[in-house]
Amino acid sequence: MALKRVILEMGTGNDLHGSDYTKAALRAVQDALHHSSLAFVRSLGLDSSKMQVEVTIGVQQPDKVDRAAVKASLPRGQVTVKVVKGGLDIPDEGAHDAAVIASAAVAVRYDLP
Amino acid sequence: MRAAAQQGDAPAPLWHHNATNTTATHEEAIMAMKRMAIEIGMGTDIRGADYTKAAVRALRDALWHNSLSVANALGIPTDSMVCEVLIGVPKPDLVDKAAVLAVLPHGTGTVTVVEGGLEIANDAGTGSTVIANAGVIVRLDVA
Repeated sequence: MALKRVILEMGTGNDLHGSDYTKAALRAVQDALHHSSLAFVRSLGLDSSKMQVEVTIGVQQPDKVDRAAVKASLPRGQVTVKVVKGGLDIPDEGAHDAAVIASAAVAVRYDLP
Repeated sequence: MRAAAQQGDAPAPLWHHNATNTTATHEEAIMAMKRMAIEIGMGTDIRGADYTKAAVRALRDALWHNSLSVANALGIPTDSMVCEVLIGVPKPDLVDKAAVLAVLPHGTGTVTVVEGGLEIANDAGTGSTVIANAGVIVRLDVA
C-alpha cells in the first residue's frame, strides 16, 4: 500500500472589494471542488474518511489567510492546508480597494495497493 | 441519444466508437465500466453565437480544472479511460461533435449534445451570447 494521488483539482477565487484573502481563498477552494465529482470513492468502495486532502492556496499575502476557515470548508477527508505566496493582486488607483485573486489546488490521495 | 451523437462527422484520432463498431454489447461494456470522476465546465461564445466554440471551451474548462491521476494510481494505462462527454447548448444540431471530441487528450470518448446551456440576445437584437455546459463522465475498466 502506498499513498497515491488520485486527482488534483484546481480553482480560482477572488475578493473584488475588501481585499479579504480568506474570502478569495474559500472561493478558490469552492471553484476547485465544484469542477469535479469524485465518483471513484463510491465506485471503488473507498472510505472517504481515509481520504488525504492537501490544500495549497496561493495569495500575495499568505499570512492573511485564515487556514482554519479554509480547512473547515472541505467536506471530506483528512485535510491539511498550506498557504504560499501566489495568486495576484490588482491594485486600485488611489483608494485602498485592491482586487485580490487566490489560486487553489486540492490534491486527493488514497492508500492504494 | 447516444446513437445520434455518433453519426457522420469526420473521425478524429480519438473517435473509437463510430457508427460501425458501436454495437449494443459494446455500449453495455462501456456502461459496465466504473465511474471514476465527473468533470464539469462552462464555456461561452460572447459575440459569434458559435455553439461549437462554446462547447469546446466548456469541455476545456471541465478538463483543465482537474488533473486526473486515478488511472495511474490504479496501474491502468491513461489511454484506457473512456470519456462520455455531455454538452448542453440551445441548438444542439449546430455543434461539430468531432471538434468537441478532438479536445480529449487521453483515451477514447463519445459526444452527446442535448438542448441546454443558455443564449442571451443582445439589446440591439443583432446577435447573442451563447453559454455551453459540459459534463464528462470518466470511466475505467476496473474489477
